[in-house]
Amino acid sequence: MNLMEQIIEATVAGDPQRCASLAQEAVRRGIDPLTAIEEGYSKGMAIVGEKFARMEYYLPELIRCADAMKAAMEVLRPHLDKGEKGGQGSIVLGTIQGDLHDLGKNIVRTMLEAAGFTVHDLGCNVPLRQFVDQAEERQADIIAASAILTTTMAYMPDLVSLVGETGPRGRFKVLLGGAPVTPEFAAKAGADGYGENAARGVDVAKSLVQARKEGK
Amino acid sequence: MTDFWDVYERSETGPFVKEADFDRQVGEAAAQAVKKNGLRFDRREVIPSDDDLADRMYQAGLDLFLELGIYCKDSSRRIKFSRGEVEWALKHAPASVTYGQGRDARTMRYRGVEDASPPFCANTSVGCTVAEERFVSMVQSYAREPLSDTFSSAFSQTVHGRPIKNGTPQEVEAAVWNVLKLREAAQAAGRPSIGIHNLISNAEKTDAILAAMQPELGVQPNDGLAVAAMAEMKVDYERLKKVVYLNHSRLNRYGLYGPIMGGYAGGPEATAVVHVAHHFLGLLAFGAQWHDGFPLHLMQGCNSTRDLLWLIAVTGQALARNTRLLIGVSPFTAAGPCTEMVVHEIAAVVLAATVSGLHLNLVAVARNKLPEHSSGMEARIGSETGHLVARQRLDRGQANEIVKKILAEYESRIPEAPQGKRFDACYDLATVRPTREYLDLYERCKEKLGRFGLDYSRL
Repeated sequence: MNLMEQIIEATVAGDPQRCASLAQEAVRRGIDPLTAIEEGYSKGMAIVGEKFARMEYYLPELIRCADAMKAAMEVLRPHLDKGEKGGQGSIVLGTIQGDLHDLGKNIVRTMLEAAGFTVHDLGCNVPLRQFVDQAEERQADIIAASAILTTTMAYMPDLVSLVGETGPRGRFKVLLGGAPVTPEFAAKAGADGYGENAARGVDVAKSLVQARKEGK
Repeated sequence: MTDFWDVYERSETGPFVKEADFDRQVGEAAAQAVKKNGLRFDRREVIPSDDDLADRMYQAGLDLFLELGIYCKDSSRRIKFSRGEVEWALKHAPASVTYGQGRDARTMRYRGVEDASPPFCANTSVGCTVAEERFVSMVQSYAREPLSDTFSSAFSQTVHGRPIKNGTPQEVEAAVWNVLKLREAAQAAGRPSIGIHNLISNAEKTDAILAAMQPELGVQPNDGLAVAAMAEMKVDYERLKKVVYLNHSRLNRYGLYGPIMGGYAGGPEATAVVHVAHHFLGLLAFGAQWHDGFPLHLMQGCNSTRDLLWLIAVTGQALARNTRLLIGVSPFTAAGPCTEMVVHEIAAVVLAATVSGLHLNLVAVARNKLPEHSSGMEARIGSETGHLVARQRLDRGQANEIVKKILAEYESRIPEAPQGKRFDACYDLATVRPTREYLDLYERCKEKLGRFGLDYSRL
């Protein structure tokens, strides 16, 4: 088994010590850290994501595997060139104003991080203004908001409006999700994307970042 | 013994723990409990008849509760209890709860495993979103069902034309409006004094809820409110404020618990352990008179899957065999109204629940997600099945065989379940009666379910 295969195996096993030691081994051998991430850890997390989608893994396993990858990232990060960090894009994420239910948001965060996004998790009950301010401060690509209550979902159109009222609407993509949110509601609210579930949310986030790069 | 103020004081003085660490501990403790107690989900035994499994599940849930305690999100502290405190609370838990007045009064009592008494049917659309002009019709469709012991609310998209936003003045107005309209619907249904088990489902903030708790608006002394835990094993001060209010009122209350299978706890066995533990949370922190669970599948958003049916059955048996708590479950289906699949899903969940000692809170359909997709007809289907299971005196083995046949009808279709019809397409809004199409569909389904072993002639 070569080093990349070992990295994938350790990531899927959710073994932080082994993931970190394999990262050290990659550095010692002079392997480009970005290659180790993209060909090793990210591929391992892609397998983890598939297992999670099939419910072969549950949330505790998903968190454990993400933690294992983070342990490797701690080793590799100092060796990355500037500009290589968070290659997929930057997202500010939170449950919308009034909403305290964060299980779905936390799953999305874990899967976004595993997919290579830089995620700024603003937590629960995030005021609309804070989403926009933080997105500006972090120079984010995407604002992602979730709601589990119908009374908090009602703030989502206001969030999209606020993005437009405080600057050019297109400077951030807005991605919405959560139990009561439907594609129709997200479209009517003016969102750029809708995540039916965590895996779909990651796919949509990737396409939104790509669209942004292409100036769409 | 403990009282509410012990709970509050512990929320301020208990051990500090970061929320993410508590979430991890839930999964670790549940996994250890599963291993220690040899708990195993058997795909062939959807409704187990294994008393020892039920008792081990109960012990696992109790031990997990004693180990983890409850997490208070506002203080980031753990509220812990001793075994003696839990046992005292169980010993002095309410033996019954009555909703409604006069001829509409109904009483929920303890049910055991394979109990011949019918389940209490607290029927509701579980907050299904509906246009303001159809709100009264939709909730009336539940109140008018003869087997509805109580009813509750849909969620109006607007009130006086304005959307309802959490924490705003409009939320207070909406809560008041909700109570007025629920009582109006009860009167329109010819059951003016029927109990409302949860008066508010369109407001979260305590100030909005309190504003609506007035007799002048139609609130009866023994109507009630739900107090919901947060996944998993968490409370906050907004919920505990509601408890203080309830302690000073004559209203009834129930605990509401929705553990997510695949979430922080893990798989079906671990989630079952956490679900049992939630009942101790509700008893000790909320003073709940009865307990309603809506365990859900993380990916499918329903509880008609094979593993969730098992979870509902085994947790019901665990609690019914080891306590005298009043316990219930809310079926959540993937399919929507006026489909064969929704009939089958409701029947499966109700079978698993009713033979396992549970009452019913009927019913959330179309994954409780689609606006306008809910009707009293689904409550009728669930109530009739629940009463039938009790009247036939089905045992767990018989129910298991029937459920497996029903599962074969819909299990593979859960991910792509039909959305079904809107309320205004499966009900005549003038008469608030189901359409002939829906009634005929139900009759065809009853014929099929009859062949599986449900004898509808006994209704």
